[in-house]
Amino acid sequence: MQNIGAVQHPCARKYSGYIDKNYPSSEAFRMSGDEMNPAAVAQAVEDIQGDDRWMSQHTRFVQECKDAEPEVLFIGDSMVQLMQQYEIWRELFSPLHALNFGIGGDTTCNVLWRLQNGELDNIGPKVTVVWVGTNNHEHSAEQVAGGILAIAQLLTSRLPKTKVVVLGLLARGEWPNPLREKNVAVNSFLRSWLPRLGHTQFLDVGAGFVHSDETISTRDMFDFLHLTAAGYRAISKPLIDLLLQILEGTPEEKRASLV
Amino acid sequence: MHHIANASLTDKVMSSGDSNPAATPTPCVDIQGDGRWMSLHNHFVSNSKDKEPDVLFVGDSLVQLLHQFEVWRELFSPLHALNFGVGGDETQHVLWRLSNGELAHISPKVVVLWVGTHNHGHTAEQICGGIMAIVQLIKDKLPKAYTLVLGVLPRGKMPNPLRERNAQVNKLVKDAVSSLPHASLLNVDPGFVHSDGSISHQDLYDFLHLTPQGYQAVCQPLHAHLKGLLEKQAEN
Repeated sequence: MQNIGAVQHPCARKYSGYIDKNYPSSEAFRMSGDEMNPAAVAQAVEDIQGDDRWMSQHTRFVQECKDAEPEVLFIGDSMVQLMQQYEIWRELFSPLHALNFGIGGDTTCNVLWRLQNGELDNIGPKVTVVWVGTNNHEHSAEQVAGGILAIAQLLTSRLPKTKVVVLGLLARGEWPNPLREKNVAVNSFLRSWLPRLGHTQFLDVGAGFVHSDETISTRDMFDFLHLTAAGYRAISKPLIDLLLQILEGTPEEKRASLV
Repeated sequence: MHHIANASLTDKVMSSGDSNPAATPTPCVDIQGDGRWMSLHNHFVSNSKDKEPDVLFVGDSLVQLLHQFEVWRELFSPLHALNFGVGGDETQHVLWRLSNGELAHISPKVVVLWVGTHNHGHTAEQICGGIMAIVQLIKDKLPKAYTLVLGVLPRGKMPNPLRERNAQVNKLVKDAVSSLPHASLLNVDPGFVHSDGSISHQDLYDFLHLTPQGYQAVCQPLHAHLKGLLEKQAEN
């Protein structure tokens, strides 16, 4: 079992900047009742298929932390992972010294586990971009938002100098469906919760994907979930603008020393 | 029916009393709730109504992702190719799609089939049976088409049972198509496995799916082979 550091007493309400796996830290973010939010519980992916790919990818990311000095860290699911395979990554994000720690299929639980098990060691990015939640099929919208919040809290406590940018979940499916509604609800919770957390902001990059006839086009999402090159180009505009704003706004003298 | 002269393993798998789940047409059940699999299938069926492709690529995510990268525009668009790849598809899903409209409106000269790696829970023999069922279906629906089966690639960072299973699938399929005039297996692995047994994330970014660089290495020889096949089809 991974060491998550000092565990708060379950009754502690005061925000202390640390994550107790059972409760979001702040009173304002508590789930209804005192139940544990399953979307905020760190969990590794079990190797069911038999080729151990998830662990191999995690191990590679941990190794990258030893060698690299990223200014920007992207963490999340396939929406993050696939971005690196398109030209846009080389054009816009590599020049910012960005690292990509996306793994296809990941839920908030999996990202939490990875962050607690080495993927934040030895690095001090100025900005961390979080994009995860669309794969949390077992969890309610509120739980998913709570899981994303827990990730943001973990990042701001482990990397005190980082600014966290949480990307909104995109619409999915060719036609209106319950998952679109769920993702909209997740974004709605995030919009109200994230600003209360210091150094964190929410960015909605989903504008324009759902057309007036309520369909999504394969020109933007080739399987009504994953983005095409054109789709990534569309979301990269607002994202790169925000990243540049944050990076250029960080005074030289506050740059964290890494070693 | 089969054109295989001698009773092969696939004959036994396909025609035996026990059905082979990998060779039984099965649609994907919408567990997640957004109906994406059926949307894609419907798109492929309606897309094909006004197209006249010479080449049809059909299969799983390895096929689907190919369509997203420059290499498709460079090498396969000029050959008038259509792409009916669906991520996660197993042989029985491809079999269902092709049995339910995706071949109804087109007559490609060559069908490129790339599927099998996602058939978790099936044996190599069953997966081969599934692939051969697709080959037979294509023959039934498109009597003049040639089917080029692409070998399933190795996967995982280090040696593992799925690599062995995939290699066995390729061997079985190669044997099964060897006597067929209308189909063959092409090994498209350019040597992804290094001498230490590892696969690089530069070729397979998650040790399963190809990077653009990985696709270039696979597709250059595939493209050459396809051109040769198309020229031969043109002569016949």
